[in-house]
Amino acid sequence: MWMLGFDGVTKRFGSLTALDGCTFAARPGRLTGFLGPNGAGKTTAMRAVFGLVELDAGTIRWRGMPVSAAERARFGYMPEERGLYPRMRVRDQLVYLGQLCGRGAKDTGRSVDGWLERLGLADRAADRLDALSHGNQQRVQLIAALVGDPVLLVLDEPFAGLDPIAMDAMGALLSEVAAGGVTVLFSSHQLDLVQDLCQDVVIIEHGRIVLAGELAELRAKVPQRSVEIRYRGPAPDWSQLPSVTVVAATDGQARLRAGRDTDLAAMLATVQDRADIVSFAYQPPTLSELFREAVAA
Amino acid sequence: MNGMRQGWLVARREILERSRSKAFRSGIVIMLVVVIAAIVVPAMIKAGPVSRDVGFTGTTPATLADTVIDQGKAVDVTVRPHYYGGVAAGEKALRGHDVAVLVVDAHRLTWLGKPDERLRAIVTGAIQLVTVQQRAAAAGIDPGQLHAVMAPVPVESKELGLVAGRSPDNEAAATVMSMLLFMAIILYGNLVLTGVAEEKSSRVVEVLLARMPARNLLAGKVAGIGLLGFGQFAVTALAALVAALAVDSVDIPAVSGGVLAWVVAWFVLGYAMYAMAYGALGSLASRTEDASSVAGPVSYVLVAAYWAAYMAVASNPDSAGSKLVSLFPVTAPFAMPGRIALGAAAWWEPVIATALTVAAIAGLAVLAGRVYTGAILHTGPTLKLREAWSATTRPGPRAAEPPARRTGTPMRTPRALTAKMTTTAKANLAMSPRTTAEVIVGAGIGAAVGLVTGEVFLGLLAASAFIAGITLIVKTWTSHGKST
Repeated sequence: MWMLGFDGVTKRFGSLTALDGCTFAARPGRLTGFLGPNGAGKTTAMRAVFGLVELDAGTIRWRGMPVSAAERARFGYMPEERGLYPRMRVRDQLVYLGQLCGRGAKDTGRSVDGWLERLGLADRAADRLDALSHGNQQRVQLIAALVGDPVLLVLDEPFAGLDPIAMDAMGALLSEVAAGGVTVLFSSHQLDLVQDLCQDVVIIEHGRIVLAGELAELRAKVPQRSVEIRYRGPAPDWSQLPSVTVVAATDGQARLRAGRDTDLAAMLATVQDRADIVSFAYQPPTLSELFREAVAA
Repeated sequence: MNGMRQGWLVARREILERSRSKAFRSGIVIMLVVVIAAIVVPAMIKAGPVSRDVGFTGTTPATLADTVIDQGKAVDVTVRPHYYGGVAAGEKALRGHDVAVLVVDAHRLTWLGKPDERLRAIVTGAIQLVTVQQRAAAAGIDPGQLHAVMAPVPVESKELGLVAGRSPDNEAAATVMSMLLFMAIILYGNLVLTGVAEEKSSRVVEVLLARMPARNLLAGKVAGIGLLGFGQFAVTALAALVAALAVDSVDIPAVSGGVLAWVVAWFVLGYAMYAMAYGALGSLASRTEDASSVAGPVSYVLVAAYWAAYMAVASNPDSAGSKLVSLFPVTAPFAMPGRIALGAAAWWEPVIATALTVAAIAGLAVLAGRVYTGAILHTGPTLKLREAWSATTRPGPRAAEPPARRTGTPMRTPRALTAKMTTTAKANLAMSPRTTAEVIVGAGIGAAVGLVTGEVFLGLLAASAFIAGITLIVKTWTSHGKST
C-alpha cells in the first residue's frame, strides 16, 4: 500500500515552474531515494510535504487522503538548511521539538535520552548546541527529525558533509528506521550509496518526475546491459558481435553495451578466439547510468 | 495537535530560555537597582536635613532660641540651639560643622558658605518676631493685644492644573502611565522583532514550521515575550511600591484599581498590535543585523502615534481630537489610558476603543501571518514587504476564472462567455449577507464616532475605513482558506 503520494503537484514561483505535475509515491518499510540535479525541485517537493510551500495545483496524500495538520505533526523532517536554536541546551531543545509534535513531556524526554545515548551524545545533553562539533550538531539535527516518533521521515541531503564512517552509520540508522515500518524519503547526490541503500527511487528533472519505481525493476527493465571484460592477449574482433557497441576499449580491457538478449556464450567464444579471459561482468546498468540517461532525455 | 497547546509551548520556551539568559537577569537586577535607588535616594536626601543646629553668641534675647524652635516646627524643621561665649568660638563651631548658622547679637547671621534659604527664613522670621515683641513691650503695648494684632492671616494654596476639574496628580499619573506603556511596547516589540529574525537566520524556523502553522509560532512568541515583559514590569512596579512604602516619604499617586486594570488591558492590546507588526517585519530580514532597519516603519509609526496621542490628550483630554486618537487603534493604546486616568472618558468609550483595537489586531494578525509565511523561508537579501506579500499569492487555477470582478465595461466577447460574465456580475451586485452586515456595523461605528466627536467628516472617515479594512481582511482570509 502506498503511504505518501504526490498527485499532480504543481508549484510556480513567478515564471519559474518548480514542480510540474509531480506524481509519485513512497512506501512504508522502505527507503526511497529522491534524486535529481541541483535546482530540479527536490527541496520544493520535500517542503511541500510539510505545507511549507503552497501548491498551485495537485494534492499530497497520506494513506490516500490529503495531508492534515494533525498528520503532519507525526512526520519527521530534516531540512537541507540545517538549523536549531544555537544557544539552547541540546536536551531541552529536542524535548521542545518532540512536544510540538504532540507528545507528552515525559514520553519525549525518555525518547530523547534514548536517541542521545544511541548516537553517543548522552554526556552532551546539558550543553548548548553551539558548543558541539559540526558532526555532533548534525546528529542532534537527525534526532530532531526522529523525536516525534514519525510515521514518515523526509530528509533533504542527509549524507551531505558526512565522513565515510558517519555515512555508514547514517545509512544503517535509516535502514533500521525503515525496517520499523516507517516510510523514508531522502534526497541525495551520492548515487552509489543510494543504489546500495534504497529499494525505490524517484528521479526529478526540471520539476517533472522522469523516472520512479522499484530500483531493481527499473534496472532490469532497461534493454541494455553493460559488459566489462579483462583479457590477456590480442584484442578480440568486436565487429563479429552484431548487437554489441564498444563504449571504451584499452589494452586488455573493454567496456561494451549489449542488448538484454545477447548470446553470452557467443560473446565469450569471440573473445576466447584470440585471447584469454581474466574477468567478465554482465549486468544491468547502475543507478548512475540510469540517472544520467533519464536526466539527459 | 491543537493550536493552543503549540502556542503555549512556544510561549513557555520564550519565557524559560529568555529568563535563563544572563542578559535578561542582569537587566532585571539593573532595573530594580535603578528604580529603588530613584525612590530611596531622594527620600534619604530629603530626610537627612530636617534637623538643624543653630549657634547663638553675643547679646541674645531670652526668647529668641525658643522662637526659632517654634518657627522651625511650623515648617517641619527641628532646630537645636547651641550657645557660644564669643564670636571666635561660634565661628570655630561653624567651621567644624557643629552648627549650620551662627546668630551674632541677634542681628547678624554668619554662614560657612552660601546661606541655607529655608533656615535663613526661619531664623530671620524669629528675630523679627522677637524684636517686634521687645519694641511693643518697650512702647507699653499689652502682649495680649499684640498677639491679636499679629495673628496670622490664613493663606490658601491651590494647584490649578492644566484642565479644569482634574488635579495635577491625575495628570502626572496619566503621563507616566502612557510613557511606561510606550517604553514597554518599544522594548518588548523589539524583542519579538529580533527573536523572529534570529529564528530565521539560524534556520530553525523550517524545523518549527514543519510542525506547526506560522500563526501558532508567531502568536506563541508574541504571547511569551509579552508575559515575560509584563512580569518584569510587575516585579519592578512591586519593588517601587515596597521601596516607596519603606521610606514613607514619597506620595503614591492616587490611581484607582479600575484605572490600573484599564492600563493593564491597554498594555496587552497595544503590545499585541505592535508586536504582531514587528514580528511580520522581522521575518523580512535574513540577518539579525538587518532587523532594526527593516522594522523602521513600525518604529516611526509607534513614535508618531505616541506623540500625537500625548499632544492631543495633554492639551485637552475632552477635545474632539483627543476622542478620535483614543478610539483609533494605532493611537488608542497611548491616548485612552491617559483619558481614563483623567476621568475624561465616558464608560463606553474604552469599550468601543477596545473593540476597534481587537478588530485591528485580528486583521493585523492575518496580514502579518501572510507576510511572515511568505518571507520566513526566503534566504538571500532582505525582502521587500510587497515581495513577501505576493510570495504567498498563488495564481494557479483561480487565475483562469473569468475576470468578471474587475471588468466594468462590457466587451465584445463570444456569447457564451458574455452570458457567464453577466451572471457573475449580477451575483456580485446583489449584496451577500456578510457584506450587508459589514456595511451596517460600519455605519454604526461611523455614527458613533460622528456623535462622539461632533464631526460628520470624522464619522464618515471611520465608517469607510472600517468597511474597507474588514473587506480586505475577509478577502485575504477567504483566498487563504480556499487553496489550503
